Amino acid sequence: MNNRLETFVKENRRAFDIMEPSAGLWAKIEQELDTKKKKKPVKLYLWMSVAAAIVVVFGLAWLYVGKSQNKDLEIADVSSSYAKKDVHFAGLITEKRDSLAIFASANPELYKKFTADLRKLDEDYERLKAELPTSPNQTFVVKAMVKNREIQLQLLKQQLLIINQVDDYKRVNQI
Amino acid sequence: MQGSRAAQFELYKLYAKAMYNVALRILNYEEEAEDVLQEAFLDAFTRIVDFRQETTFGLWLKQIVINKSINYLRKRKMEFVSTDEISEVPDEDSFDDGEVQLQAEEIRQAITQLPDGYRVVLSLYLLEGYDHEEIAHILKISENTSRTQYMRAKKKLKSILETKGMRDE
Repeated sequence: MNNRLETFVKENRRAFDIMEPSAGLWAKIEQELDTKKKKKPVKLYLWMSVAAAIVVVFGLAWLYVGKSQNKDLEIADVSSSYAKKDVHFAGLITEKRDSLAIFASANPELYKKFTADLRKLDEDYERLKAELPTSPNQTFVVKAMVKNREIQLQLLKQQLLIINQVDDYKRVNQI
Repeated sequence: MQGSRAAQFELYKLYAKAMYNVALRILNYEEEAEDVLQEAFLDAFTRIVDFRQETTFGLWLKQIVINKSINYLRKRKMEFVSTDEISEVPDEDSFDDGEVQLQAEEIRQAITQLPDGYRVVLSLYLLEGYDHEEIAHILKISENTSRTQYMRAKKKLKSILETKGMRDE
């Protein structure tokens, strides 16, 4: 019913674009373009410093986390006397283990069994150590840890004894 | 970069007037339309790397101009969905197109008298050549709203032209 108006407008769209923007507008745009261009390197510099700051923050955070992780509770933090015992046992254990290793090539089967037993004890020790920081009774855990070391040492002693006897036996039989 | 400045000016000369009229039809304020035009060209020139030749530069620029104009209008808090901003104009069949001299200038001025919601939908549909689906997308209204807004806008426009015509006679 009123399509004439629609058709007229659609067919003469150009006739509606008669208003003109003010003459100075391009100059304004040009000016803005110039200032934007100058701003660019500043912006890049800004972004780079932001990125650098982020890297620094992450680095510090990482260091801090690393440090606090190293702060895992040690036996010495709970009891110095137990710590001394622990260190003492640990030294002996390495010593005995080294001696045991000497017999390893001669008795591979036996060595394997012995190390498996020792590994179990070692795992227990590590578990106790992990529990230590959160444990309500830390002295108790520390005692258990030192006890574990002691058992390891005794086990090693016996193992050495056995392996020595086996070795002797073998040698006697060879003669 | 000097060469590109000359190219930018060429683009400006080519499109400034048409784009200014697009913005002006939506905003109805010359100052705001100029602000939009300036921002749109700056945007287009700085984002020209994003421009992929799937469409023409003109259509791309027009999109920017329209979006910016709508945003300006929204800042004025106009509501596109409200359909009651104006009392219903009765559909007069008695109105005869032939009696009115359909002159572009007359219509253009009549369009400027439409309320914002009507004017925008009518301009986008009639003069920018968008369909109701596209208008719905641009204005974030339903297609149906766009259609009814357009129908009412057209009715209102006719009534404005009619009273004008009578006054002129």
